[in-house]
Amino acid sequence: MRKLIAAAAAGAVLSICLLAGCSTGDDGLIKIVFAAGQDPSGATAALIDEYNASHPGIEVTFQVMPANTDTQHDAYVTYFSARESRIDLYSLDVIWTAEFARAGWIRPIPDGLFDESEFLSGPLESVTYEGAIYAVPWFTDAGVLYYRSDLLEKAGLTVPETWSEFTRACRTVAEPAGITGFIWQGAKYEGLVCNFLEFLWSRGGDISPETLRDSPERAVRDVESTIDFMLQLIETGISPASVLTYKEEESRRLFTEGQALFLRNWPYVWSIAEDEESSVAGAVGIAPLPHAEGENGYSTIGGWNIAVSTYTRYPEEALEFLAFITGERSLNLRAIDGGYLPTRKSTYGDTDVLAANPHYAGFFDVFQNTRNRPRTPHYPIASDIIQENVHRALTGEFDSHAAAESIVTEMAAILSR
Amino acid sequence: MSKPGKATGRHDGRLAVWLLAPSLAFVTILGAFPVLSQFVLSFTHYNMKFADERGFAGLANFARLATDTTFLQDFWQTVYFTVMSVGLELTFGLAAALALNRIGRGRAPVNTSVVLPWALPTVVAATMWSLILNDRMGLLNSVLVRLGAIDTPVVWLGPGLAMGSIILADVWKTTPFVAIILLGGLKSIPDQYYEAAALDGAGRWHLFRFVTMPLLRPFIAIALLFRTMDAFRIFDIIWVLTGGATKTETLSIYIYRVLFRYSDLGYGSAMTVALFLIVFLMSLGLLKIMKVTREPLQ
Repeated sequence: MRKLIAAAAAGAVLSICLLAGCSTGDDGLIKIVFAAGQDPSGATAALIDEYNASHPGIEVTFQVMPANTDTQHDAYVTYFSARESRIDLYSLDVIWTAEFARAGWIRPIPDGLFDESEFLSGPLESVTYEGAIYAVPWFTDAGVLYYRSDLLEKAGLTVPETWSEFTRACRTVAEPAGITGFIWQGAKYEGLVCNFLEFLWSRGGDISPETLRDSPERAVRDVESTIDFMLQLIETGISPASVLTYKEEESRRLFTEGQALFLRNWPYVWSIAEDEESSVAGAVGIAPLPHAEGENGYSTIGGWNIAVSTYTRYPEEALEFLAFITGERSLNLRAIDGGYLPTRKSTYGDTDVLAANPHYAGFFDVFQNTRNRPRTPHYPIASDIIQENVHRALTGEFDSHAAAESIVTEMAAILSR
Repeated sequence: MSKPGKATGRHDGRLAVWLLAPSLAFVTILGAFPVLSQFVLSFTHYNMKFADERGFAGLANFARLATDTTFLQDFWQTVYFTVMSVGLELTFGLAAALALNRIGRGRAPVNTSVVLPWALPTVVAATMWSLILNDRMGLLNSVLVRLGAIDTPVVWLGPGLAMGSIILADVWKTTPFVAIILLGGLKSIPDQYYEAAALDGAGRWHLFRFVTMPLLRPFIAIALLFRTMDAFRIFDIIWVLTGGATKTETLSIYIYRVLFRYSDLGYGSAMTVALFLIVFLMSLGLLKIMKVTREPLQ
């Protein structure tokens, strides 16, 4: 009998150990764990190896997170809620800063770790929450207009800057060629928020906390007319009805297969469009997004920042590594080897970087006019409010005025919380 | 099984308790504890991101649920999906089972090919369907255009058609499950019953109506119960195909949004408790309607 109890107890202990992942041993090394999405180019891993080689006593490891942004977000929330101290540094999507800072999960970055003036203004704004800086910009992203340079040239047209020039180009070039005019991302997901805001900003509208508070009627009017404008693109055949089911890759594929004149997408499309397998290689150009007459075009900013966990046991060492991995040399290397768009302005003037990525000059122009999505700790709810209402209005479930009113009142309630 | 003798019985019993103890402990830790804590959480205000605002909520979460129009709309969409997909799966599954039951030789390869859709991981199957249903590059449209059935590509996952497309994918995926259960049932009906009924002059319809159906009923009930419970909790296929857009969001997707995207454990738990009660009551109702009891054969 006693043997039996012992066996059962041993079994239970063993299983609990397996479940909890009992760790053993400590060799005196300070272990820093950096959690981020995969870097298939290997540039990040190479930088970490280099750092470890020059810092005896410290071992930085790269913890690869799920490629899907939402999955990564949910994993982080779980880690932080459990006060996970094993991970010291996290790479955060630009829309998470306010959320994680408000929750107290990430530490303010001390003054002097980096020189703010050296960074692009959009990414810099994304790491700020209530006057303090909570992360360091790592790499950036922004909405870009891709166009078929061969077709525009043949028609004797310049790259359109205003929406009226743009729609005219679609009519006179795309329609006769039997291809689609303009493809964007209209599925109900985060990308729709980015696309919608760009349309809104390009027409002089915005849904900033100030506008929502001081002139909500104007905000309703702007949002409504923007939804109507998007509907018009579909009704006039400039964009196919199926854009409302497209995310990045569906829209990208149509363009690189030569079936569209214009595409709104992120910078990653460039290297695919110029690849040998693309049917539009050598016939693609990039430009800032179009805007209404007398207004400015703005691109929604994407990209990633790196923050230090509140629960780290080694804040000093984590900050030191953070300064290294977001330093000029690291960003240059990741731009050359991995094509990650740097957040430091100087990288765009670096001859090695430009030699590897000649198209960065074009992206740099786009990055001058970027804006952030609403910066609020309730961002996931804010995003769903926009996604729901805009998508339902575009698919005819809501009328555009009702959708605009819900967006403005619900967003105002969220931002004042 | 024969009852064990008294002397060894007590010994065996004690051994059984000890052998079961670890698994029982696990079931308690991994099963009962989360369910109970969900109930407790549903009476609190608790958002993981705003842990400092945590507190007792009483019935506030449930009051909010009662006026939540999204929850109501998603509830009806879930009901629609469940009724349509389970109805079609039972119909096709029964037809497939009857057909499979008649096959004599070469049964194994046919059976295997029928089960294949069900054996595929749902996410893989759903991704495959999203490629098939893609309006520009999808198989379905290109076949239909070539056949001359349509002129312009149909946006299968767009407004109006999305729920139908999702049901189609689910029926394709899960009919085999129903077919296999019903085939098992058909195999369990002794041939003698058919022979006796045939001797009494019963035709094919009467054999089906008065021999097959009554004896198959417990199996239909099981298939119906499993499928209804599963369908009511549908998440994966819809998540991949539309993400819940254009009137295809179900309760599970809404709950995912609140629990994970918003980290709102309090309100999300109230919703899971509601979903649990709905599914529980529905299962009781189904069991009652199907009268799954051991009836003596008449």
